[in-house]
Amino acid sequence: MTKKIFKSIMLVSGIVFALGLAFILGILYRYFDRELVGELKKEASYLVQGVEADGEEYLRGIKDKDARITYISGDGVVLYDSQAEAESMENHSDREEVKAALESGSGTCRRISRTLSEKTIYYALKLDNGNILRVSSTQYSVFELILQLVQPMMWVLLLMIILSGIFASKLSDRIVQPVNELNLDHPEEVQIYDELSPLLSKIHKQNKQIQEQLDLARQQQEEFTIITENMQEGLLVIDRYTMILSGNTSAWRIFKVKDQKVGSSVYCLDRSEEFRKTVEQVLGGRHSSVLLKMDGGYVQMLANPVIRSANPMGAVLLLMNVTEKVERENLRREFSANVSHELKTPLTSISGFAEIIQDGFVQPEDVKKFAGRIYKEAQRLIQLVEDTIRISQLDEGEMPYEWEKVDLYAMSRSVFNTLKDAAYKRDVHLYIDGERMICSTVRPIMEEVLYNLCDNAVKYNRQGGTASIILRQTPAEVRVTVADNGIGIPKEDQNRVFERFYRVDKSHSKEIGGTGLGLSIVKHGVAFLGGSMEMSSEEGKGTEITVIFPKEKV
Amino acid sequence: MATRFERQLEELHVHLITLGSFCEKAITLSAKAIQSQEEELAKLVFETDHEIEKKERELETLCMHLLLHQQPVAGDLREISAALRMLSDMERIGDQAADIADLSLFIDKTKVKVPDIIGDMVEATVEMVTESIDAFVKRDLDLCRKVIDDDDRVDAAFNEVKEKLADLIYEQNLDAKAGLDLLMTAKYIERIGDHAVNIAEWVEYSITGIHRNNEHQMGGEKI
Repeated sequence: MTKKIFKSIMLVSGIVFALGLAFILGILYRYFDRELVGELKKEASYLVQGVEADGEEYLRGIKDKDARITYISGDGVVLYDSQAEAESMENHSDREEVKAALESGSGTCRRISRTLSEKTIYYALKLDNGNILRVSSTQYSVFELILQLVQPMMWVLLLMIILSGIFASKLSDRIVQPVNELNLDHPEEVQIYDELSPLLSKIHKQNKQIQEQLDLARQQQEEFTIITENMQEGLLVIDRYTMILSGNTSAWRIFKVKDQKVGSSVYCLDRSEEFRKTVEQVLGGRHSSVLLKMDGGYVQMLANPVIRSANPMGAVLLLMNVTEKVERENLRREFSANVSHELKTPLTSISGFAEIIQDGFVQPEDVKKFAGRIYKEAQRLIQLVEDTIRISQLDEGEMPYEWEKVDLYAMSRSVFNTLKDAAYKRDVHLYIDGERMICSTVRPIMEEVLYNLCDNAVKYNRQGGTASIILRQTPAEVRVTVADNGIGIPKEDQNRVFERFYRVDKSHSKEIGGTGLGLSIVKHGVAFLGGSMEMSSEEGKGTEITVIFPKEKV
Repeated sequence: MATRFERQLEELHVHLITLGSFCEKAITLSAKAIQSQEEELAKLVFETDHEIEKKERELETLCMHLLLHQQPVAGDLREISAALRMLSDMERIGDQAADIADLSLFIDKTKVKVPDIIGDMVEATVEMVTESIDAFVKRDLDLCRKVIDDDDRVDAAFNEVKEKLADLIYEQNLDAKAGLDLLMTAKYIERIGDHAVNIAEWVEYSITGIHRNNEHQMGGEKI
């Protein structure tokens, strides 16, 4: 823009210069010409007066030879010439100015010499005696004038170029500067040229529009990020070349990669066969899902193809950690198997004994023995069902029991009383260590908890072992520890003994008895009473289970 | 927007990962085959080996194509040449897995008890192969070094197997024929370990540009 303005200014000044020059030359030339003719006329009239008074001799006496003076007789013969020999000159009667003078008394003529560099003006005047006096003066032609003016003109031109160059550049800079300094971020604040206002207001409008669209896009992006980043499920978007386009933190966590893997193949995350098959399938355009086994868990992957104009362009992979679900399912399956087994065993016995009696294979005196067995198995069955019901009740938390102040020491004594016979049979010694300890609790549940703990301590003991209850209290809590030095629980089973029907001894041996629900009842009971429990056990050394309750109901 | 060349390079990368996972599968299956009686396993290994070979040829063509048409330089050239070398190592792993599976058919596991140490060897080797491919996938130099170092363990285990088998045959607790088969199996496993080291070395080369040949030391575990 600066260049263009500069150029224009230079061009304009150039044109003005050239036109001015031509104009001045034209005016000057005409002016000089007129002046010259006027002078010649004056000179001629002076001379005429001189010649009429003194004759030809007057002319010869004139020393001034600036102008050429020719004296011609009426018939064209040159009588005198100030610059040439009159005798050698030809007849002048056919000269234009002479002819005009003979006819009208005076005549003017301009003749351009052959070299074009000079122009001669002639003025002829008719004397009273019929002779003609001609005065002529040579003048430079326009062409010559220009040629002579070239050098000074060049200087002027140079000066003009320099001056106009400086001015033009300054001027153009000054015109352009405010445009250059335009703040396009806030065009509405700028007030320079009126011509620019429509442009600026349009820019302003578009700026606003762009800003709005950007804000919208950013907001949508943020919303998307918030959604994906707060998802527990992993989300991966891949293109049809298996390249990861985006993924959320959960996805990286599930695949246990530290940094984002955007831009590399999804196979970098998992290259197992099932994974690859699923990805291939989904990129083939079919929805698919797979359960991936990763170290330490299960991940359910749902793969959905992204289809655009009937071609699969990529896929969205949703990953869910289903470890807990799968494990729970396994537990449930085990539980069902266990419960059926536990229920079936007594029933089989009952049915077997009953069948023998029915078929009459039993001596009448033995019927009583058989009935006793049936009764025992039925009792076991009832116990089992009761235990199961109790756990469900504790599970649901809808036991209609009342909270009351209970002395745990007294309760421990009564529990040991119940177990006295069983302990005696197994030669297990019972101890209570502690003092009176009042605690707000639900008596039947507390009894159940204590009983089951002590029952286990006696049952899973060895010949001559001990089972003890240790009662301790702090101002806020009571701690009841049931310890034994019996067979203990193997490490790998310690987490599972609280599951329903779970038994360390998988053969479910009958010699120990029990339903496999004891510790499960303890766990649910403690949870119902708002307490917590700790267990430490070592195989072959014994087990210590501590239950902790707040003294007051929470 | 990725260029066509970058796209093809990424494709090569993906295929290599796939091939690597085939290798893992083949050797895991063959490891199971020597320890169990199921003949189905051996068949699966053969199938996988077949697939590995097919994929290997396909990838070789892709590499050549890239080299000729794109004339890559510097890092890209290094990556492709490393890929070519890794291909042949992976193909050898597949072959050796097939050989192990083949041998497993001749060993009657009801009579011959496969020494535990072979099981340990297999485990270490499978880990090496997995780690070498992991190193490639994650471009992890530390993992490369670990694989290269782990080879000593496998080599030592091979020596132990050799001695154990010799003892067993000497004590006539093991049929000599079965003993030889087991020795061959161990040798193949040991070779697979070497190929895993090769792969790790090429991964290292494609990352750093320096290829170190981790030769066995004289007087070391060289067999």
